[in-house]
Amino acid sequence: MKLFKSLSVAAMAIALITSSVSVVGAASSLKGKIVINGSSALLPLTLQAANEFKKLNPKVKISASAAGSITGPQSVRKGIADIGAVDWDASQDVPGFKKFDGQVAHKVAVIPFAAVVNKNVKVDNLTTKQLQDIFSGKVTNWKDVGGSDGDIIVVNRAFGSGTRVNFQMKALAGSEFLSKGSNYKEVKSSGDMKTAVETTPNAIGYMDLVYVTSNMKAVKINDVAPSEANLVNGTYKVWGFGYYMTKGQPDGATKAFIEYIQSSKFQNGSLKKLKFIPISAIK
Amino acid sequence: MHLETSAQGRIAERNPNELGGSIKAGSGKLFDRKNRLLFYNRTFKIICIASAIFVCLVLFSILFFMFRTGVLTFRDVSPLTFFFSSDWSPENESYGAFVFIFGTFALTLLTLLISVPLSVVIAVFLAEIAPSWLRNLLRPVLDLLVGIPSVVYGFLGLTILIPLLRDVTGTNMGDGILAAAIVLTIMVLPTISRISDDAISVVPRKYRDASYALGATRFQTIFKVTIPAARSGIMYGVILGMARAIGETMAVVMVIGNTPQLADALFKPTSVLTSNIVMQIANVPFDSTWNNALYMMGFLLLVISLFMIVVVRLLQRKGAHE
Repeated sequence: MKLFKSLSVAAMAIALITSSVSVVGAASSLKGKIVINGSSALLPLTLQAANEFKKLNPKVKISASAAGSITGPQSVRKGIADIGAVDWDASQDVPGFKKFDGQVAHKVAVIPFAAVVNKNVKVDNLTTKQLQDIFSGKVTNWKDVGGSDGDIIVVNRAFGSGTRVNFQMKALAGSEFLSKGSNYKEVKSSGDMKTAVETTPNAIGYMDLVYVTSNMKAVKINDVAPSEANLVNGTYKVWGFGYYMTKGQPDGATKAFIEYIQSSKFQNGSLKKLKFIPISAIK
Repeated sequence: MHLETSAQGRIAERNPNELGGSIKAGSGKLFDRKNRLLFYNRTFKIICIASAIFVCLVLFSILFFMFRTGVLTFRDVSPLTFFFSSDWSPENESYGAFVFIFGTFALTLLTLLISVPLSVVIAVFLAEIAPSWLRNLLRPVLDLLVGIPSVVYGFLGLTILIPLLRDVTGTNMGDGILAAAIVLTIMVLPTISRISDDAISVVPRKYRDASYALGATRFQTIFKVTIPAARSGIMYGVILGMARAIGETMAVVMVIGNTPQLADALFKPTSVLTSNIVMQIANVPFDSTWNNALYMMGFLLLVISLFMIVVVRLLQRKGAHE
């Protein structure tokens, strides 16, 4: 028994030594410092990728922070950051934001979005037209879109939110939001949106699909339920790519990091675990 | 005893007339005890002065930086529009901050309207009426309330107060300046009542005795003698509470609704300076008029709270003279 114990300890020690040797052996000589700023929706993904990447390349330093989508490409333009994470393609014009010249967008993930309503709302399905009317303030009562009598409370994200830009482009086909009214409020983050929709009767809002809880209802849009399967087969349209913006084509450590996050190993592993959808799933 | 005499003996050898003469006279070496002490004293003095100057520099550079960035707003927006237009829609290039300035003052006033009478009553109860065991229990409780982070108050407001307001009043949302004022009242209540409590407690006993001797009731004594005597201390508490209410952000942003429209009803979602800044600052482009306008709003807030602090200082001086 004693012999067995010491043998197993010795075996473990040998295994440890060899495995650490193999890690050192596999570690590349890549050096550098990568600064990432931007979207908070992409931050969990970035942090996870950074952790794994640092294990493979111990000489690369990565610091990631998030202050909102628009700060990503801005930091890149100012030279503060090497990578700007953003929820829309910032090299193109989108509603409210001009394009950032000279920046290259790299797709890193697919983010599904959902229109959500409070549990007390009887409506299960909304068409694009109905969503446009609700969020622009033309329809103000649930009974006009097939629900029971009750004023619609519209909860919106503040201007500049990546989720808002995506929802406006994909679910509302670019139509304007209302901005005033006694049944309208704005919230600061996806977390606040979740609380507001959960606790306010007759409320409607929108958020990343991963934030949807059992205390609210994600409605079907044009008779298609928001799910990964429907997104992948092309019937559910309300989703967006998450992008990494770089000044010109990236090189060195930055290039390697972007390639790592786009690699099928990361896309089908950690990225799926975080409930994002791999970019390769979209044809 | 033996040591002392020998030490005194040595001093006496060098300068028999003066204590500490050896230090003053020095031994002539470059870095002897005298020079060393002088060096330490001077260095310490310089460090103290430098720290004091550093604090002033920090304050003035914050003020200067906020002003310098903020004033750029007026390149694109006229001051008249900024201060008096109520149309805030940065996506359409209109920057009227009147809604937020008005909202800030309306919210602060409403908060004071609810919190001052309540706090003064609590202070009177603590200082004059409560038995000492209850007083010793309540004072630490009030002090602890000051230490609760504001985001906790905001979250309780969002999850408990707003649904309650909705049920009681039958409104659709419940967000608005009334909800924010109630949350702020709970936040500033301990500040105002504890300072007022202290002010009332230090009113000399002879005033009360004289009042009772004239045949006044307890109620008359408290409201005609004690409170007027403690007036400047109570004002001090009110202004400190007001400064706290004006600058409060996290709790307000969670219950006010954040819609840029005039706060002309108690239950209408609206916005104040702090809540609008915190909602938008993360998403504005650098170097834009929008960014500058937010800095200008921050500068306004800073000026308002500095003004409050100056008033508190003046009141303190007045209180000291009385």
